[in-house]
Amino acid sequence: MENLTIWAGWAGGIGVGLVVALLYWTTGKGLGVSAAYGEVCGLAGSDFFKRGTFAGPRWRLFFALGLPIGGAIAVLTSGISWAPTWDMGTLYPAVLPDSTWIRGGVLAAGGALIGIGARMAGGCQSGHAITGMALLNPPSVLAGGLFFVGGIVSVQTLFGLFS
Amino acid sequence: MTNAPAPQAAKITGRTLPPIAFLPFGALFGFVLSRAGATTYDYYAGLFLFSHLQLLWVIAAGAATGAVFIAIMKRMKTKAVLTGDSIDFTGKPFTKELVPGALVLGVGWGLAGACPGTVLTMLGEGKLNALFTIGGIVVGTWLYGVVKNASQGKAPSAGDSHAPAA
Repeated sequence: MENLTIWAGWAGGIGVGLVVALLYWTTGKGLGVSAAYGEVCGLAGSDFFKRGTFAGPRWRLFFALGLPIGGAIAVLTSGISWAPTWDMGTLYPAVLPDSTWIRGGVLAAGGALIGIGARMAGGCQSGHAITGMALLNPPSVLAGGLFFVGGIVSVQTLFGLFS
Repeated sequence: MTNAPAPQAAKITGRTLPPIAFLPFGALFGFVLSRAGATTYDYYAGLFLFSHLQLLWVIAAGAATGAVFIAIMKRMKTKAVLTGDSIDFTGKPFTKELVPGALVLGVGWGLAGACPGTVLTMLGEGKLNALFTIGGIVVGTWLYGVVKNASQGKAPSAGDSHAPAA
């Protein structure tokens, strides 16, 4: 994945902001992803996620299903061939266990915290930190700041202990 | 941007978009996330180690760009092009779970080196480790539902006695 085309951060950010604006302008919807996981849980039989905003229409689920398509297109337009990989770059592999399954356990634990935290906070990085901050919505600005605090705590701890 | 949607909007006001219409928007977002470096594990570690701030610029420029266009759409009272409805720019509310939830999400963000959206994009790029994180997010979301369902199961019965008969 070293040859994946990556724009300068500010340019990528402008792209992200334009997609947020485009979604509002065309569909009237605020961009967010984590609620799609709630819709999946509702479809899989979770009583809680069969109610309210998660009951449908499940536009968030279809938005989320588009994401991997975009990822595949991004690879194919980078001039590299698409191939499955366990590659995680250079930094995380230096502190995570080499075993695929133990490493996977750490990533799954991180995912579980993301899932719980996103529902408690009412959104994730896309809904709070990008869309919410673009709305200048105070609770979202707070949430975005606290996401960073949590991330700094876990990564500094991980790299402090194991590198 | 102002005049073009208006006559069209009058005709199709209240139209509901089929959920599948959001698939290409998701694909576009995934493509941009990838180009922004938001699917690259090293940038997550670099962000929280303060050694490479690519993703800080992405979030800052993303929020700023969104803010500019949202301000324009608010001022022009722009209607959503595909539905003709006025756009609801109401933000998410503050809740008492927001602060602990955002911290918990942040810890997971650092551990997994991904977000709910970027991890799905990573899978599309062929990054198989995304599967573990996606599985974890589904489990965490499910657990939240189980806990909320249990606590809400008690709460409405207490409230029901005060509620007028239906």
